[in-house]
Amino acid sequence: MNIYLPIAEMSVNVAVFLSMGCAVGFLSGMFGVGGGFLLTPLLIFMGIPSAVAVGTGSMQIMASSVAGAIAQYRRRNVDIKMGLVLVAGGVVGAIVGVGLVRILRQIGQFDLFVSLSYVLFLGAVGGLMLIESVGTIRRARSGQPVSARKTGQHSWVHGLPFKMRFNRSKLYISVVPPAAIGAFVGFMAAIMGVGGGFVMVPAMIYLLRVPTSVVIGTSLFQIVFVMAVTTLLQAVQNKTVDVVLAMLLIVGGVVGAQFGVIAGGRLKGEQLRFLLAALVLLVCLRIGWELVARPGELYSIGPLLGRP
Amino acid sequence: MQPGAAAMTCRRLAVAAMLALVAPALAQDALPLPPRVLMGPRQPPAGPAGPRKDAVERVEADVSTRSVEVTTGFTGHEILVFGAIDNSQQPEDTAGNYYYDVVVVVEGTPYAVVVRRKSDIAGVWINTSSVLFASVPSYYAIASTRSLDQIAGPAVLERNSIGFAHIQMTPAVGVKWNLSDYELAGFRAAVIRLKQKEHLYVVEAKEGVTFTGRSLFRSTIALPGNVPVGPLVARTYLFRDGEVLSAHIARVTLERKGIERVLHDFAFRYPFTYGIIAVMLAVLAGLSGSMFFRRETA
Repeated sequence: MNIYLPIAEMSVNVAVFLSMGCAVGFLSGMFGVGGGFLLTPLLIFMGIPSAVAVGTGSMQIMASSVAGAIAQYRRRNVDIKMGLVLVAGGVVGAIVGVGLVRILRQIGQFDLFVSLSYVLFLGAVGGLMLIESVGTIRRARSGQPVSARKTGQHSWVHGLPFKMRFNRSKLYISVVPPAAIGAFVGFMAAIMGVGGGFVMVPAMIYLLRVPTSVVIGTSLFQIVFVMAVTTLLQAVQNKTVDVVLAMLLIVGGVVGAQFGVIAGGRLKGEQLRFLLAALVLLVCLRIGWELVARPGELYSIGPLLGRP
Repeated sequence: MQPGAAAMTCRRLAVAAMLALVAPALAQDALPLPPRVLMGPRQPPAGPAGPRKDAVERVEADVSTRSVEVTTGFTGHEILVFGAIDNSQQPEDTAGNYYYDVVVVVEGTPYAVVVRRKSDIAGVWINTSSVLFASVPSYYAIASTRSLDQIAGPAVLERNSIGFAHIQMTPAVGVKWNLSDYELAGFRAAVIRLKQKEHLYVVEAKEGVTFTGRSLFRSTIALPGNVPVGPLVARTYLFRDGEVLSAHIARVTLERKGIERVLHDFAFRYPFTYGIIAVMLAVLAGLSGSMFFRRETA
């Protein structure tokens, strides 16, 4: 059965996109990630215009994060104050990002910018995760104790001004680093169509020393609000949010995530991280290859954007 | 109305009656005239109707579907362009020779297209040059009695913009300054190649236009599922010995209908409300999904 997407302006197979949402939902449920970094490239690969893929992705990520955020809030795992600082930064980042999307589309460099951002971030995050997980697996095999990093040490982060007390995180730090992290994640969300959890979570743990128990909840809190703003901005400024496409992906994703959570429960943390790192690197290589391989068609056509 | 025009209306009526296919209200304009929808009020025949030996041939045509609706399930639509030659001198049996040639061109609404070309910059393929064509037909289908080069010379085809090589594509002002004619031709060819790949520029198979008897002809044009919405223009040309004898225009509207028309219009007219609804939908979908599954697993 085919359905016509009103914003992407193309006819697509319902079953294909439902199962795509389902597969990404499965992986995101299994690894506990948003899945935007998988979904957006997949949509572009399926022929959805990249700007529509990014805009629609933000709506899908919001839907898949909102239930998790509420569940975490009920378990009192959200540091609201920290979350609001992250959201404030995120909104600024998203506004800048959405504006940049418009300019890049007009000058015809949006696809390139998206691909480069993906290669850079996925390469860095995937590489670090791979090294870390392989190290942990080796140490576990050789019988050494698997220990977390030492916390509580002061770094340059703690020397910055505008200090604020974050009760739930048990921190007294400057608002500058969390606001900057939030802004950076919001910017990425607008450009790459990702939630940015894979950058925000490590940044909060290693840079801000936020306790692990509240990291996930607080990052989900930020993602929901920043994604809501991003969805709105993309709809208003770029008109690239396809509600029909988003609903297909959301329905598939919600179903897939349930099975993903079950599958994820059967694997150890470091095994999961190793698999996720491999997946991230594969996506990175795939996008990177597109950039360097000689294209079969050097020309591309598109409508004139911006000027009336 | 001038006396010549009255006689013309007469002949038009005669043909319409002969065909019994064409509704009387379809009388349409010949190409060189500015397009108008209707001729003046119908007048009773003033003289002897029917073909005259000394009269010139004229072509009249119409399209089977005046308005095509693009709905959620739209996968394409086949339109029939049919017509007749007024004062046809064609012998009953052409014995494989082409006495007349008919070419049907169906063109979509012209729009501005940016063509970009990639080059290798330090190992990465980047869009480096671009050309803005101010006006490119969004869709272009062509059907003819035989291949175009057999019908007429390039000058005639160019004058009437018949065939891919002669599609009107005007580069925006200022483009010529930084590109050679050769490079510009490359961009032009790319538009045609990419549009062909999308099945938006199409040449109907051989014998795209077929004759029935001395004056009736027909041709089917298959609009693909991805045909851009907007009015289409069907131009019909009558050729004899490489020269255009007569031409005719018919119009087809192609409109979004149904739910996605509503959604598309809404998204572009009220983007803020659309965005708010998108956000609320996402929240609702996310929550109801998790609630549904919690109940299932609990």
